[in-house]
Amino acid sequence: MTSHVARLYALAVSLLVLFLFWAMIAARPWGPAAAGRDPRLAALDARERRLRAEAILVQRIVAHRFAVYREQLRRRQAAIARVKRQNALAATRAAATPRVRIVSLPPLTITRSS
Amino acid sequence: MLRHEFRAMGTEVELLLDAEPGLGSELALSAAEAEFARLERLLSRFLPDSELSALNRRGSLRAGPELLELTELALAARERTRGRFDPTVHDALVAAGYDRSFDRLDPDGAIATAPAAVRCRGGVAVDRASGRIELQPGFRLDLGGIAKGYAVDRALALLAEAGPGLVNAGGDLAGTGRPWAVGVSTGDGGLTLELEEAAIATSGRDRRRWLQAGVERHHLIDPDTGAPAETDLLRVSVVAATASEAEVLAKALFLAGSAAAEREVAALGLVAVLVTLDDRTIVTGALA
Repeated sequence: MTSHVARLYALAVSLLVLFLFWAMIAARPWGPAAAGRDPRLAALDARERRLRAEAILVQRIVAHRFAVYREQLRRRQAAIARVKRQNALAATRAAATPRVRIVSLPPLTITRSS
Repeated sequence: MLRHEFRAMGTEVELLLDAEPGLGSELALSAAEAEFARLERLLSRFLPDSELSALNRRGSLRAGPELLELTELALAARERTRGRFDPTVHDALVAAGYDRSFDRLDPDGAIATAPAAVRCRGGVAVDRASGRIELQPGFRLDLGGIAKGYAVDRALALLAEAGPGLVNAGGDLAGTGRPWAVGVSTGDGGLTLELEEAAIATSGRDRRRWLQAGVERHHLIDPDTGAPAETDLLRVSVVAATASEAEVLAKALFLAGSAAAEREVAALGLVAVLVTLDDRTIVTGALA
């Protein structure tokens, strides 16, 4: 009887020791976590930071280029409007009959061989 | 009266604006001056990086709107003047010694090269749809006979936004918005014309002349001979609706000589002042 109880205790202790070993081995104390952070995760983190920085830079470049484009567009539109006004006046003048007469006033300017 | 003077296209440019001083006037004067600089950068044969120089180097070019328009105007003028105005006199001008800006040409210095006649009337094709200008091989364009007038007309349109204005580029001038009193040299002094919505240009051999191997040369090329024109006229002033038209007509009439010019002026209903080499003044048209 005594030996039967003793065997039961021995079995229980053995199971406990086995469980503890299993838990210890499952924890992999020799693994990468023990040595520090996973380098792949670190690389991913670094890549993410780099991409975020690049995205900010790209946004700034795009915003700058868009501002330049808007300025160029504004100037171009102003130039087109100016040319249209010039053309309109030139057409008006070309269609007009020039009026000329001899006067005795002092001239404001002179024409000479160009 | 606001007056602004500067140098462009190898000559003195004068802007007159009948307006009060202020930001609007300043902007209009600056815009007109900038227009001269812009057009000179495009149209000068003396600037190697101008659009015209590029066309002359390559013989073919997809041109900007100004060069395209001016070339078309020049070709229409050649047609209208039956070839007396010709934009392909470039090589004839160079052969006559006018191979650099007149500012850099010593009028009293003898040019060593011998005078030579150079063929003109070259083929120029303008394709408005593609914007391409093509020159016949061996020909180059010179728009000196019309570009100043064109620039005057363009600059005047900008100036006129601030009030009545006048633009005078070395004698090629146009005014708008009010009558303008303009002095014209005659054989025995001068007279004053009052121009209203009009332009006037003068062409002659009394300026832009130089010596080439002991022979006096000037810049008005006769396309028939390819050499500086020999006529009985000293200078011609013509009134027209635009400065570019006046500039073309002045050259064409100068080349015609006094008798033909008088007939042509009467036929076309123009107003002109002709001064002959013996200082005779012929006032034609409505002024006569």
